[in-house]
Amino acid sequence: MDQLQLRAFENRCIQEELPFCTAACPIHVDVRAFMAGLAEGNLREARKVLDRTMPFPEIVGRLCDEPCRPFCKRGEIGDPLAISMLERACVGMTAPVLKLPKLPAKGGTVAVVGGGLSGMTAALDLGRKGRKVTLVTAAEGLGGSLRSLPETMLPREAFPQAAALLEGYGVTLMLAADLTVERIADLIATHDAVYFDRDEIGPQLVPQAAAQPDPLTLALPAEGGFAGGGLGEDSSSFSVIKQVEDGRRAALTIERYLQKVSLTAQRDKEGVCTTRMHTVITGMASSAVLIPADPALGYTTAEAQQEAGRCIRCECLECVKQCVYLQEYKEYPKTLVRKIYNNQAIVQGTRNANRMINSCSLCGQCTVICPHDIPVPELCRTTRQDMVRNGHMPPSAHDFALEDMHFSLSESCTLARHQPGTSASRFLFYPGCQLAGSSPETVVRTYRFLAGRLQGGVGLMLGCCGIPARWAGQEPLFAETMDRFKADIARLGNPTLITACSSCLSIFDEFCSEAEIVSLWEMLDSLELPTGKTQAPGETLTLHDPCTARHQETLRLSVRSICGKLGMHIVEHDCNGPLADCCGYGGLMQFANPQLGGKAAGMKAGRSEHAGLAYCAMCRDNLAASGHRVAHLLDYIFPVADGQNPLARSNPGFSRRHENRARLKQDLLNSLWPEAAVLQPEHRQITLLISREVLDLLNSRHILEEDVQKVIHQANQTGRYLVNPGNGHQLAGFKPVRVTYWVEFEPTSRGYVIHNAYSHRMLLPEVGQ
Amino acid sequence: MSGYSFIEATPWQCAGCRLPLTPTTVSLTYLNSVFNVELMACPRCGMLLVPESLAAGRMLEVEQLLEDK
Ligand code: SF4
Ligand code: SF4
Ligand code: SF4
Ligand SMILES: [Zn+2]
Repeated sequence: MDQLQLRAFENRCIQEELPFCTAACPIHVDVRAFMAGLAEGNLREARKVLDRTMPFPEIVGRLCDEPCRPFCKRGEIGDPLAISMLERACVGMTAPVLKLPKLPAKGGTVAVVGGGLSGMTAALDLGRKGRKVTLVTAAEGLGGSLRSLPETMLPREAFPQAAALLEGYGVTLMLAADLTVERIADLIATHDAVYFDRDEIGPQLVPQAAAQPDPLTLALPAEGGFAGGGLGEDSSSFSVIKQVEDGRRAALTIERYLQKVSLTAQRDKEGVCTTRMHTVITGMASSAVLIPADPALGYTTAEAQQEAGRCIRCECLECVKQCVYLQEYKEYPKTLVRKIYNNQAIVQGTRNANRMINSCSLCGQCTVICPHDIPVPELCRTTRQDMVRNGHMPPSAHDFALEDMHFSLSESCTLARHQPGTSASRFLFYPGCQLAGSSPETVVRTYRFLAGRLQGGVGLMLGCCGIPARWAGQEPLFAETMDRFKADIARLGNPTLITACSSCLSIFDEFCSEAEIVSLWEMLDSLELPTGKTQAPGETLTLHDPCTARHQETLRLSVRSICGKLGMHIVEHDCNGPLADCCGYGGLMQFANPQLGGKAAGMKAGRSEHAGLAYCAMCRDNLAASGHRVAHLLDYIFPVADGQNPLARSNPGFSRRHENRARLKQDLLNSLWPEAAVLQPEHRQITLLISREVLDLLNSRHILEEDVQKVIHQANQTGRYLVNPGNGHQLAGFKPVRVTYWVEFEPTSRGYVIHNAYSHRMLLPEVGQ
Repeated sequence: MSGYSFIEATPWQCAGCRLPLTPTTVSLTYLNSVFNVELMACPRCGMLLVPESLAAGRMLEVEQLLEDK
C-alpha cells in the first residue's frame, strides 16, 4: 500500500466527517461533544467545548441565531435540538473553563476600526496569534450594535469582561476615540493591515470600505484593507454568528497577508460547509423539543440535560455496529487502514498490528453496509499477501489451517473418479473439504442420490478449493492448488461441477470461470427430493446464510425453496443474505485469533433466539461449537438412519474433521471403487484413549490426534522418551513438520491413554531433528 | 530469553538410560534468533524435557514476539 492508496481508502470512510450541526455552524462548534457533555451532566465539559471554538462565549453563547439548527439530524425524527437555548443555559451556569494560549509575539501591526463583535473577534484571533493589534472605536465600550440589547438578553458586564480578555492577549483598546476621516487615514498609513467592522464604520467615514469585500477573504480592493460585519448582503438581517464568522475569516486572511502567502488557497472548509456524514436513523423513536418550565429563564440544569439527551451524536460506524472484528479492535476502517499502513512501514521493531490484520474474516459484510463500499477484506487480504512476500507473516497465524488444507489435498483424502461402471461424467459432485470433514456420511448419501437421479454419469471429487491459501495471502500456493484442480477436472472431461460449499463456489466463480458450475442447492431444488424419509423438525428454525453466499442470490433462493418443499418453518434474521455474518472460519480468523473466532460464531448464532439451520458445514460446526443448537440442511434432506436429532450434533473438532476426510475416502473406495483402495500409514494403527477433557484441550491447542499418534509411534520406534516411575506415564516430543508436539501417555492393553499434550515452535537441538 | 533457567526437580527420567534428569545448557532457535537456556536433560544421552509450563508460557511469548519482528 502506498500513500495514494492509503488516502483513497481513508477518503471512503466518512466516519470523521463533521456532524450535520457542526458543518452548518459558521465557526464549526463541536455541538455533538457539547451535547454529550450536557447529557452526561458534565457542564464543565460542555463549556470547554464552547471555549475551544467560540470567541467571547458569554456573548456568542447567549445570542447565537443558530443557523445550524435546521440541519440537525434529530429534525428528521422529531424536533431538532434546541442548540442555542442549550448554549445559553450552559454559559449562564458556568465560568470559563479553557483559556486558549497566546502564541509568541510576531511582527506586523494591525488596526481594527470599529468595536462590534466582528472587530472584537478579529482582534482576539490576531492577538492570540501574537500580532500587535490596536482596536479603535468611537463608542464608550465594545459590542457595537449589541450594546443596545436589554440586560435580560445580555448582561452589561459581558462587555468589560470581553475588554479584559482582549487586553489579556495584548490587544490595545482605544475607546471613545475621535474617529475622523483624517484619523482613519492616519491608522491606514501607520499599520500593515486594517480591518473595518461595518457594524460601526460606514462608507461615509471610509471611502475605500464602500467597495464590497471579496466574500472568501473579506479583502478590499485597496491594498491592506479588509472589511466585514454588520448587516448581511441584503442589508436586512443582522446575524450575531455572522459577525463572528466575518471577524474570524478576516483574521485568518490578515494572518496570511502578513505571512505573504496565498489568501485563497484551501479555504473551502471554512464557514458553513457540506458534510458527507452518514447517520442511520431508522428505528429511532421520534421526540419533541423540551420547552423550559419558565421560558423567560430558559433551561434549568436538569432540563438542559434532558434536552441534550435527545442528541443522536451523529456518526456513521454502520459497519462497526455489526462487525465483531472491528468492535474487538476498537477501530473503524479509517483508523484501521492507518494502523495497517504504519505496521507495514516498520523496518525495525515490533509489528503490533500483525494479528489484527490476520483477524479480519474477509467476509465483506462491511463493504455491503458501507455507503461508500469500503473494501476492508481487499485491504486485509492484499496486506497479508505483502506480509508473506516480505517474509513478515507470523508462521503461527496460518500454519495449522494450511497444514489442514495440505492434508485435504494429500493422497489420504483426495479422489477424482467417474461414477462406478462409467467412463465419462456429465456432472461432478464436489462436496468440499468442510462437508467431508463435518459429516462424511452426508457426502455419501448426497452422492448416491445425485448419481441415481442424474443422467450421463456423476463423478465424485474430494479435495479442497484452496481458499485457506487465498485467505492466508499465500498466492503461489493458491495458484498451484487452482492449477491442479483445473487439471483434475480436465482429466474427467470438464463435467458440470456441483458444489455443496459456498466458499468453493465463490472461488471457482472467480478463478475457474471456464468451468460449468451449479450449486448443490440449485441442483437439488430442480430435482424431486427424496420422499418418505425426510422429516421437518418440530420447531421453527432460523436460517443462517454463510458469509460467502453474500453475492449468491439464486443459491440462497434455492435453499429457501428447498426448506419450503420440506415443510420446514424458517425465520430470517436481520443479518442474513447480503448482510450475513461470518461464523469465524472466514479469512482464517479462528486460527489467527481463536478467541475472536469464538465470539464471531456466538454473535452469528445469537442473531435469533431460535435454533439454527445452516447450509455451510463450517457454519454448522462453528455455531454448534459456540453452544447453540444448529443443524445442516442436508441432515433433513438425507436423514441418518439412527434417528439422532440433527440439532444436537456436536462440533466434530479438528481431529475428527481430519479423520473424517481420510475415512470418507477409505469408505468410498471400499464400497464404490474397491479396485483403487490405498494403505493407511503405520502410525494410524495406534489406538488412542482420550477423555472428553483432553480432547477439548487438543482441539483448543490445535493438536490433532494424528500428531499424537506420530509422537507415540516415533517414541516406540526410537526408544527415546521419558518415564515417570511414580505413575508409569511416558512423555515424548516429536516434530513431524514445523511444530514440536509433546505427549504424556500411558500404554495399556486397550491402547494408549492420553493424559496431556502441548506444543511449541521453538527448535530444540535434539528432539526429533 | 537467553540466560534463562528452567531447572526444577522433576519425576521424569530418561527411559533409555534409566537416569534421573540433570541441568544442562542448550541452544533454542526460532526465526534466526538463538537462546541459551538451562533445561533438564538426561546426563548420558541428552534426552531433553520441555515442561508444559515452559512450552505454553515463556516459549510461546518469545515465539510470538519474534513472529512480529
Ligand atoms: S460504514 Fe464504516 S467504513 Fe463505511 S463510512 Fe461508515 S464507518 Fe466508515
Ligand atoms: S442530533 Fe446532535 S449531533 Fe446530530 S445534528 Fe443534531 S445536534 Fe448535531
Ligand atoms: S470483512 Fe467482515 S470481519 Fe472484516 S472488517 Fe469487514 S465485516 Fe468485519
Ligand atoms: Zn538418556
